[in-house]
Amino acid sequence: MSVLAVTRLELRRLAVRPLAWVLAALTVAQLAGRFMLLLQIFLSNQIRLAAQPGGPGYTDLVGVPMLSSILTSGILPMLPFGLAELALVVVPLLTMSTLAGERSNGTLPLWFATGLPASRIVLGKFLALMLWLVLWLALTLAMPIALAHGMTLDWGKLASATLGLLLMLAALAAIGVACSAYASHPAIAAAASLMLGLALVSLNVGALMAGLNNGLFNWLSMSTHLDTLVRGLVSSADVVWFVLVIAVALALATQRLAAEKERG
Amino acid sequence: MSAPTAVLQLDHITRHRAGRPAVSDLSLRLDAGQVLGLLGVNGAGKSTTLAMVAGALIPDAGTIRLNGEDFVEHPGLARRAIGWLPERAPLWPELTVREHLDAHGRLRGLGGAELARASQRIIERLELGPMSRRLAGVLSQGQRQRLGLACALLHQPSLLVLDEPANALDPVQVAALRGVIREQAAAGTAIILSTHLLAEVTAACDRVAILHEGRLRFDGAIQGDDHKLLEQTFFDIAMRGDGSNDRMQAA
Repeated sequence: MSVLAVTRLELRRLAVRPLAWVLAALTVAQLAGRFMLLLQIFLSNQIRLAAQPGGPGYTDLVGVPMLSSILTSGILPMLPFGLAELALVVVPLLTMSTLAGERSNGTLPLWFATGLPASRIVLGKFLALMLWLVLWLALTLAMPIALAHGMTLDWGKLASATLGLLLMLAALAAIGVACSAYASHPAIAAAASLMLGLALVSLNVGALMAGLNNGLFNWLSMSTHLDTLVRGLVSSADVVWFVLVIAVALALATQRLAAEKERG
Repeated sequence: MSAPTAVLQLDHITRHRAGRPAVSDLSLRLDAGQVLGLLGVNGAGKSTTLAMVAGALIPDAGTIRLNGEDFVEHPGLARRAIGWLPERAPLWPELTVREHLDAHGRLRGLGGAELARASQRIIERLELGPMSRRLAGVLSQGQRQRLGLACALLHQPSLLVLDEPANALDPVQVAALRGVIREQAAAGTAIILSTHLLAEVTAACDRVAILHEGRLRFDGAIQGDDHKLLEQTFFDIAMRGDGSNDRMQAA
């Protein structure tokens, strides 16, 4: 019940903040532009693609690329960002004020005085962010799904990619909340969470360039686990990786908040 | 017959801040309906004491009992039992007055019709109606203070903790605040308030505690005509740190 009270308050605060609306408007507009371009490319190549046995279809060329640019890198130089790439910037901006904002606003002691454990405060705030992010994901998915009645959509592949994106958004949100718990100012939290997100995504690229494959660095990288899901393969090992990241980040945020109450 | 359980009982609490003792070995008892004025110069440890009593800070040593239960062990007791107005009312600038009351009520475990009734009651009592749709970020300092007080009173706590509640209030609002304090005390709420204003203490409190360098130097009842004695005692303690030469105690 108390977690829901925190979530409700945080959702209200997100709803009245211009930043959340501006981010939603800009990114959905960019994704709509991307959708139109992807659709145009798909339609202009439809006959050629139909002749290829087992060739890519609507889901591979329009549906999944809305979520991530992994499958379309090089095809769309003008609008290269899918939801996954945008999330690396949007989530830190959205999460930066979660706790650092309370600290700079002087409202953190008020949370402590409610008698709520730090874990519930962190979880409530995380859930509110997740609701916003799920809505963002749903708006993005609505575009390719809107044409599902006239196209052959591979629902399984789209569901797998959606699960991957959902887990990625949750991981980035948890990292953002943790950075916000440690930072004294929202801008520092945003910068730290952006750098961490980029590092987690690019770790795999660096490892592959160094000739490392299936090593620790590849395993540590978020893109290793996201790519598999985006390509339609749901592996429990990948899901567990995301759950671990979320749990560790939220535990760190909780621990920091509890320590702050003790330290004053 | 045993004495009734104190609403608030501090036993030898100590708290360090920035490496020095902000509060040392402080013991206090506060019963239902009592109004305790906490006096002291800047840095005497008043705000630290009140933050611990409100549950926003944990003492390094000692125990805090709320209605007989260990508050440090069970911080969840604060949820319904304590209302706290810190020195500068902490508000979320993007929320309206009504939304603040709604959020505070839910965080304190109120909901549905109970929350609606409590909000309406406090809006009427503190005359917040005309500004109930205004954002907290655009309120004047005095209005912010009134909203902070409303949030502290909303859930009808058994202990009200007020840190410099008269800050930024005009004389009319100060008189109204005194009325609210008396009303709450008459309803059985234990109140602890810190202030720099000696007149505030004699007007609103029935007991006074004076802190100096984190230690309790005086704790006793006051009468309406004790203003001069209180002033002398306060200055003796503040200037010389001398609690032994205690005219009020003698009086």
